[in-house]
Amino acid sequence: MSYAKPLPRLNSDNRPFWEGCTQHELRFQQCADCGHVRWPPSDLCPRCHCREVRWVNSRGIGRVYTFAVYHTAYHPGFAAELPYVVAVVALDEGPHLLTNLVDCRPDEVRCDQPVAVVWEEVTESVTLPKFRLLSPDQE
Amino acid sequence: MMQMLMDFSGDDAVFGHFGATGGYALAARRAMHDFGTGPETWKKIAIGQRKWANLNPHAMMHAKPMTEADYDNAKWVVEPLRLPDNCLISDGGRAIIVTSLERARDLKQPPAVIMGMGQHNPSTVIAQSDWMAGPTGAKRAGEIALSMADITLDDVDACQIYDCFTYTVEITLQDYGFFGPGEGRDWLEGGTIEPGGRMPVNTSGGQLSEAYFMGLTPLAEGAMQIMGRCGQRQLGPLTHTKEPKIILCSDNGGILQSHACTLLRRL
Repeated sequence: MSYAKPLPRLNSDNRPFWEGCTQHELRFQQCADCGHVRWPPSDLCPRCHCREVRWVNSRGIGRVYTFAVYHTAYHPGFAAELPYVVAVVALDEGPHLLTNLVDCRPDEVRCDQPVAVVWEEVTESVTLPKFRLLSPDQE
Repeated sequence: MMQMLMDFSGDDAVFGHFGATGGYALAARRAMHDFGTGPETWKKIAIGQRKWANLNPHAMMHAKPMTEADYDNAKWVVEPLRLPDNCLISDGGRAIIVTSLERARDLKQPPAVIMGMGQHNPSTVIAQSDWMAGPTGAKRAGEIALSMADITLDDVDACQIYDCFTYTVEITLQDYGFFGPGEGRDWLEGGTIEPGGRMPVNTSGGQLSEAYFMGLTPLAEGAMQIMGRCGQRQLGPLTHTKEPKIILCSDNGGILQSHACTLLRRL
């Protein structure tokens, strides 16, 4: 069965990120001048306006900055999964990533809980970074 | 429609994140964590505004009282926001005529005078923000407007707060300085914002219970109250509230990404 949810739209800015995901790597731009690791990708560093970047890999570990539990399907592709959890994960390297928390009940989730990336291969060319809860001793 | 949603949401849609309710639900959840707010606080805002709407025959929710049980039993849209935490969807329009004070003095209606304005726009891509629980743009915008008007919050008789969601009302009043972080629930206790209350808020019912006309729902109501054109819901003796000599109005855009504060006074 074909994948029924929206897919990321690749462009020259975000292509390295999504190609990294197919390799199970979380790649972010890091400012070559001030070292700020940023998301979403952009031409200029939002901190110091430098144009030079390198791409660095995140370990895929972070904390739940915040989350929301969807009880409404705004797109039919998500109807079977209600209620599902959308979260903003604050990665240890700095960027916040909007994602889903999986393999958990919505009522188990708390802000600042530690999480780790898991990979969901949804098509031949697209793999999505999602996150699962870690117990404190797994950090 | 689907294309519009996806264009609006960008890659957020990949993870099932759409529209404004989801964005404000993220902010409201972080606020629950940071300063202990939650539905018990937001319920007082939803019910208080509904009481004003019940005095406003133009309100979409006129003659539809809301009880605590109605709120508690309402469905989640995006948790922690229930249906009555969301503003209405309205067709309609509203306009304000702005002119010089000199010309306004000759008009048939008494004018509402703009005594202070302030804007502050944090603007960040919202997922990257670390201020979802405040301070939002309301803090600086409020300081600028009060300073321009040369007054303090103690001089304000009523507020018309941009209320896309109940949480927006709480964080806006909190960032203006009406109460400290997490003290909103106590501040709202006893009908503070309702008819008869000491600080009436959103006296038309607001966007939660009158109609959603973006920033013009609060601003138009502020002007109408100053002009004395609000009928049954008119501030003053009729509703057992202070005479509205000075009214604070707010506007807010994006997911708490931009903020404007306007202070209106009687001539």
